[in-house]
Amino acid sequence: MFLPHGFTCSAVTSIMDSRHFLLTVTFLVLFMQAVVDASSWWSLAMNPLLIPEAYIIGAQPLCSQLAGLSQGQKKLCQLYQDHMQYIGEGAKTGIKECQYQFRHRRWNCSTVDNSSVFGRVIQIGSRETAFTYAISAAGVVNAVSRACREGELSSCGCSRAARPKDLPRDWLWGGCGDNLNYGYRFSKEFVDAREREKTYQKGTYDSARLLMNLHNNEAGRRTVSDLAHVSCKCHGVSGSCSLKTCWLQLADFRKVGDALKEKYDGATSMKLNSRGKLVQVNNKFNSPTSYDLIYIDPSPDYCVRNESTGSLGTMGRLCNKTSEGMDGCELMCCGRGYDQYKAQVVERCHCKFHWCCYVKCKRCTKTVDQFVCK
Amino acid sequence: MAGAIIENMSTKKLVIVGVILLIFQVLSFLVGGLIAPSPTTAVHYLATKCVDARKQQHQRSKWFMPWGPNQCDKIRDFDEAMVKMIEANDIVFAVHIPLPNKEMSPWFQFMLVILQFDIAFKVVNQIEEGAVATIDVGLAYRDDTVSEWTEMAHSIEQRKLSCNFTTSKTYENEGRYYECDLLPFMEVGSVAHKYYLLNIRLPVNERKRINVGIGEIKDIRLVGIHQNGGFTKVWFAMKTFLTPSILIIMVWYWRRITLMTRPPVLLEKVIFALGISMTFINIPVEWFSVGFNWTWMLLFGDIRQGIFYAMLLSFWIIFCGEHLMDQTERNRFAVYWKQVGPIVFGSFCLFIFDMCERGVQLTNPFYSIWASDVGTELAMAFIIVAGICACLYFLFLCFMVFQVFRNISGKRSSLPAMSKARRLHYEGLIFRFKFLMLVTLACAAMTVIFFIISQVNEGHWHWGDYTVQVNSAFFTGIYGMWNLYVFAIMFLYAPSHKRYGDEQSNGDLGVNSGEDIQLTTTITHVDGPTEIYKMTGKEAQE
Repeated sequence: MFLPHGFTCSAVTSIMDSRHFLLTVTFLVLFMQAVVDASSWWSLAMNPLLIPEAYIIGAQPLCSQLAGLSQGQKKLCQLYQDHMQYIGEGAKTGIKECQYQFRHRRWNCSTVDNSSVFGRVIQIGSRETAFTYAISAAGVVNAVSRACREGELSSCGCSRAARPKDLPRDWLWGGCGDNLNYGYRFSKEFVDAREREKTYQKGTYDSARLLMNLHNNEAGRRTVSDLAHVSCKCHGVSGSCSLKTCWLQLADFRKVGDALKEKYDGATSMKLNSRGKLVQVNNKFNSPTSYDLIYIDPSPDYCVRNESTGSLGTMGRLCNKTSEGMDGCELMCCGRGYDQYKAQVVERCHCKFHWCCYVKCKRCTKTVDQFVCK
Repeated sequence: MAGAIIENMSTKKLVIVGVILLIFQVLSFLVGGLIAPSPTTAVHYLATKCVDARKQQHQRSKWFMPWGPNQCDKIRDFDEAMVKMIEANDIVFAVHIPLPNKEMSPWFQFMLVILQFDIAFKVVNQIEEGAVATIDVGLAYRDDTVSEWTEMAHSIEQRKLSCNFTTSKTYENEGRYYECDLLPFMEVGSVAHKYYLLNIRLPVNERKRINVGIGEIKDIRLVGIHQNGGFTKVWFAMKTFLTPSILIIMVWYWRRITLMTRPPVLLEKVIFALGISMTFINIPVEWFSVGFNWTWMLLFGDIRQGIFYAMLLSFWIIFCGEHLMDQTERNRFAVYWKQVGPIVFGSFCLFIFDMCERGVQLTNPFYSIWASDVGTELAMAFIIVAGICACLYFLFLCFMVFQVFRNISGKRSSLPAMSKARRLHYEGLIFRFKFLMLVTLACAAMTVIFFIISQVNEGHWHWGDYTVQVNSAFFTGIYGMWNLYVFAIMFLYAPSHKRYGDEQSNGDLGVNSGEDIQLTTTITHVDGPTEIYKMTGKEAQE
């Protein structure tokens, strides 16, 4: 989602506000690093290389071609080549859901380019970053579990995936049902690999970021398995409930997005303590559980474009004149005012639908007022 | 002779028998809990959306494979279909059972499939009130990965959609899914083949209003349920072990009965019938299902189970009735018609219901009695009638137990005044009745308790490194328990070996006035009463 945006330099001050001098220094280091190490596995969502056919003929070199994978992720890619497409899909659903949830916010989860995906904003350990990590990890759980059900993954099914040799016997003896478990474990393995292979000195900003990322990834995955609900079927004699089978059913991903958005609103601010562990800044609140999101940096100013923070600014964004909320012109445009346009919108109306793929509509045009932030 | 073993056996021996039975009981629970896996497994399938391109090429096989070699032309979602100008009638949902790298096996016994639609909400294309989905479905099988598919069944089914949308129906919420009820889809009574393939179509015909107003379907999900091979093996092993033990005790019991000079009384016959029905359910004919493709095995199993339960319930009624020490004429089956009638009628209703569902499924595995309105009403009627019969039964039983207890307490108060022998006889009857009632109550309570545990619990407990399968333990434990119960009854009610004279036809339970004299004489012959007699005698004196 590219929107026109201006450029200002004022947002740097918000970083300089930071109390720890050390933090500022690490940020400066990050800036230098950012050029080299900006890409992430999220880029799988944008990668046109990811077509299923590419994996069928032992496409070993493909894994090294894929930008954004860390060393450990590349290894996993080689081991589970057929999974990569679904990881890309998972990232895509995560990003789409993020954009839906934040469509009315100043930061709207817009993607910047194909390698770093979200741009520099993600280098800041803010609430928004926390949400992004969580929702994309959740997306991968969802996509891998779904692919399992479609029969697209060869190694999926039995929960003890480490023993493919015994799989036919296990299957006959006790069945292999739970693919949510598989999705969860694979996502953990793959998404966290990037974080796990790095080692930072205890107490540094990087180690805090690492802990934060791991926590938020886990929160995202847990939200998926938490929202999965149990369905049961009775099938005893004469339909009695003496024989009952239950299974876990994945929730609609929109619900996962809703739940994580709520976690975003209640995210906990954390800081490093002297022993190199993350603790709450404000002790009055309950400490965060593994289902909650955590962040370590304040959010940058998303009002104005800022190259150094990666904020795109809200200039050129559409807003709602009558709304009092975040999508209202007052808040969205950060008090800069807005321009009003009359736009001709062509809509489909009086449609006839089938359950799939068939719509017969008339075209109706109407004029609407549109408001765009200055 | 002085009656049944339960009266004549010494307390020590009785306790030993009880302990042995208890050990077997614990064993049967452990077999299920520790060895067997959970009874059933649910496997998810997501239907692959295939495009039927047969209009262009006529030579292709009519079956659509979701993956593997010769897979169909797939589309990922229906937006893609829209772009490619593919119509709803060209979409085939394909599901291969099982998932890749696995194969089905006769050990799975049965397979039932549940259908669920993922329907996205759209303001302009909502699910209409009382919408019915018409499903054109075909089932095929093959036994190796290369041969052609063979059609097993084909049908056009209707399923009522009952979906609700939990959030407000606004443009904001477009794309969220409806929450739809699970729909019964298919039931196969034997899993004789390795691979199964389902091809599902949702044909649209606007003129006939077929599949119109069913919303925007995004996906079709299926859940396949089958029995676990491990559970089947443990179950068969248990049946194979139990059959001879019940059979032997039954033969022994009947030999004892025929050795007596008098003809067997009603209670003895009923106990024998109970043994027969237990053996009938025990005989592991299911072994044949591993070798033969007998789809009626599931129905047959239901019938056997039904016969056993009907027999058990009738037994309780007659057992109570025979212990009613009133002066009305007993020992005739005709007396119990009023009580046994509801049992037979209720069982018959359930049998009809079962025949309507599983019987029809023998020819059409997609049939479900719940799919049509008439069928639903009929099924409900059967179940309600069976339920009423069950209620009547329990009222009867409670009434009879109450009567028996009232009689007993009445008799008890007059006991001290009676002659010693008669008192001992009554004490014996009271003891037997109470003992059996207690065991029966314990069995029934255990059944109910374990049923509740297995319903509430998620199915397995972790116990150190072991995983205890609660559901399997429930099935093997309860099954073992009823076997032990029948075993115990046949053993304890067999005529005692301790004979004290040949021509006493002990009117065991029927306490007719004519027999009373005989009884007295019988027992006066006894020079030393058994332990139980002593015990109960003392109790009565206090």
